[in-house]
Amino acid sequence: MTLRRFPSIALAAAALALAAPVHAANTLIPAGQRIAVAGSVLTVQPDAEWNRLGVRPGRYAERWTRDGDQLDALTFYGGIADGKTLFREVNRKERPLPRVAATMLVTDIPILLENSYRVARGIAAMTIERVEPARFAGSDGVHFTYSYIRLDESLHRRGEAFGAIIRGRLYLITYEAPALYYYERSAPTARRVVDSARV
Amino acid sequence: MVVWLLVGASSASAQEKSGVKPGFTLTPGSAHIVLIRPSIQVGAQSTAGMFEPNADWTAQARDALGAALRTAERRLGNDVTDYVEPVGADAARLAEYQALFDTVAASVIEYQFFVGNRLPTKKRKDQFAWSLGPEVATLPGLAGADYALFVSTEDHFGSTGRKVLQIFAALARVPVTAGVHRGFAGLVDLRTGDLVWLNADWQMGGDVRDAAGAEKRVRQLLAGFPGKPAAAP
Repeated sequence: MTLRRFPSIALAAAALALAAPVHAANTLIPAGQRIAVAGSVLTVQPDAEWNRLGVRPGRYAERWTRDGDQLDALTFYGGIADGKTLFREVNRKERPLPRVAATMLVTDIPILLENSYRVARGIAAMTIERVEPARFAGSDGVHFTYSYIRLDESLHRRGEAFGAIIRGRLYLITYEAPALYYYERSAPTARRVVDSARV
Repeated sequence: MVVWLLVGASSASAQEKSGVKPGFTLTPGSAHIVLIRPSIQVGAQSTAGMFEPNADWTAQARDALGAALRTAERRLGNDVTDYVEPVGADAARLAEYQALFDTVAASVIEYQFFVGNRLPTKKRKDQFAWSLGPEVATLPGLAGADYALFVSTEDHFGSTGRKVLQIFAALARVPVTAGVHRGFAGLVDLRTGDLVWLNADWQMGGDVRDAAGAEKRVRQLLAGFPGKPAAAP
């Protein structure tokens, strides 16, 4: 190697450092242990192994998956305070995200999720299907199901969510997967995680 | 030049391109494989990176890849037949399965082949467990077949503006890619719906719009196909 080549090598190293995708490590969630999620007081005890993705969907959120977030995604939103959003703002000026309000009713939760998805995730066709009262994390809350198609895809996805407003903060767990095969496959395991939720 | 060589070498070593379900073998001449109609999309990539579909290019690619696949089928060492297209609601079900296959393949690339982002449950030795679900066998036209072969390509050719942007971005040391050339080929066991073999890459070679390029692409897509007689290219 000649000295003349050093600048190229340095440039290559810089390009490599920039080109390598930055991923926080994904970690294993073992079965049978109670753990706190989304940096909050919300705890769950899964009865099967999951993977926690290093990339978080929002500041107050955390996502678990078995086969990748496009095939099954269990997302926890932990104690989102009054005035905060589910996701990071994409374009606060022109397309602001809806905000959590301490005075929200549980029936406002599906609308908040739907409107957040439309802004932050570019989901045009989303339908909230069934909304019913449910106990969640020891409080009175809401259970709802929904379906959607992402803008750049033709795959139909189904989802369901449990949420509650506890001491003025929003706690929410959603489970989503392609309608074909994956939704039914992981739904029972995901529901058992939801059933174990405590605040 | 050194930059691109190094970048190329690095991505090749950090990224695996194919996987086989542990214990899966395919003896030449033992199986009936149905080739599902390939999903082919060709278009341009705008300066901003948006995909703009191009019907003419897609039609050219469909012809060229179709011819290359017909030639390749004869070399796969098993009885490979083309899928008879369903109509009506069954056509929609087929399209949904093709979309699911693409999503599974993309997930394998992101969470298994890309070592730095691998899911902990996919790290275990000999772990390659992915599926489209057993219901895939109920698609019409698959009765009596052992495997379904899914092939999917998506090509975004960088516009002039995108290439110019890439040059300026490189000066600022910001990585900008011009063009997307992704291809997936996967063999699905129709008894279980499990993916038994997958070859997938975000950056494949070969211009799918002409015969020589399509032949190269098909060769890459089917590289390492299980059950191929040793003498076959």
